[in-house]
Amino acid sequence: MELSWSTFVLEIINFLVLVWILKRFLYRPVLDIVDKRRQSINDELQQARQQRDEADRLKGEYENRLADWEQERQQLRDKLAEELDEERSRQLTALQEQLRSEQEKAAVSEQQRRAETSRQTELQALQQASGFAARLLQEASGPELETRLVELVLRDLDALPGDQLESLQTQWGDPPAKIDITSAFTLPAQQRQGLETALQRVTGLTPQFSYNKDDSLLAGLQISIGAWVLNMNLRDELKGFAEFAHVTH
Amino acid sequence: MSDGDLTIQPLFAIGPLVITNTVMTTWLISIALWLFTWLLSRRLTLQPGPLQTAVEGIVATIENAIKAVAPDHYRQIMPFIGSLWIYLVIANLCGLIPGLHSPTRDLSATAALAILVFLSTHWFGIRIQGPKSYLHHFLSPSPILLPFNLISEVTRTIALAVRLFGNMMSLEMAALLILLVAGFLAPVPILMLHIVEALVQAYIFGMLALIYVAGAIQSQQLRQSQKE
Repeated sequence: MELSWSTFVLEIINFLVLVWILKRFLYRPVLDIVDKRRQSINDELQQARQQRDEADRLKGEYENRLADWEQERQQLRDKLAEELDEERSRQLTALQEQLRSEQEKAAVSEQQRRAETSRQTELQALQQASGFAARLLQEASGPELETRLVELVLRDLDALPGDQLESLQTQWGDPPAKIDITSAFTLPAQQRQGLETALQRVTGLTPQFSYNKDDSLLAGLQISIGAWVLNMNLRDELKGFAEFAHVTH
Repeated sequence: MSDGDLTIQPLFAIGPLVITNTVMTTWLISIALWLFTWLLSRRLTLQPGPLQTAVEGIVATIENAIKAVAPDHYRQIMPFIGSLWIYLVIANLCGLIPGLHSPTRDLSATAALAILVFLSTHWFGIRIQGPKSYLHHFLSPSPILLPFNLISEVTRTIALAVRLFGNMMSLEMAALLILLVAGFLAPVPILMLHIVEALVQAYIFGMLALIYVAGAIQSQQLRQSQKE
């Protein structure tokens, strides 16, 4: 147990150097790294708190936005329902209007159909009446009736005024060379003579006369002067009666 | 093992300075610590490995122990007190390595550490409190106690040096005597006790130094709190 001063001094120096070494290479770096880690953890905690706050804020904002969206959706839904009601009402009105128009058209069509049916019925009745009259007149016709009709022709030709005669004489154009006279019965000579005289007077010509016989005329005459034809027989009269009835209806 | 194992052997001399095995062991410890801390400081990361975690745990434990005693000035005194603990633990445990002896079994080494504690106590006290305020605490609680305070400063420093020297020296001597009497492997239990004793003595020396330094730093605060 003795004290060595050189050891004493060297130990002091050595320990002071050791303090510097440990301070330089151990305490300072380790404490710095610990501080950095602590700072990093604090930063991360701070960041996590900020993110949490931000998340809370966003959550609140999204909840408000969801509430707004819900309200807006409800408004849009109400508006859509209102528009649907309006559209339904409008289409219903249009449909009713169309239906009413169709009903009117149908009524008009029905009325026209009825009128056409009535007209057809009347026409058919007239034709049947004409047919009945023709059959009746066919049964009842004879030379006597034809004589009477020839007399009517002669009388009418004699009763023609002068201006009508002039008008007739200009209608057939070039003067006909022949006049065809068709009858249901054979005309007696007296009637032939009377007709030729009357026709020469009416036409102002002296053509050649040709006589034909046609039973379908029933009774009466058909005189053809060129393109001009004078019908005075039962067949054409009945036919004209039926056509007149058809035109008038 | 011979009788020379318990004596301090000079190895060589540099001028007037005689280099003993105590100084050589201290140099080896310092170089080893320098290499270890230099390599460690280059590999420190924010994601620590097992070694870095252990070192950070040691440093944090030292820091917490100092902070508990001197919460306002722990960063200033931590290098000195922490170095005392680290150095003493390693130096005390060096005796377990065959061929090496604990530097702390040499009174010159423990006296040097005790003197450093004595000087650092006044250094930190004057530096932090100012010379007038620091020197005033020798007169408290009464100027009559000034001689006793001065004697206390000296005696506690001597006690600090002798306590560590005596314990470490006695441990090595006990192990040597048991080895001489009982033979090979018989000192193993006493060597286990050596480990415990080395840690305890390092802790006691460092804690006493911490208390002395903290007392010097905080004497003014203590007086103010007592007045209040």
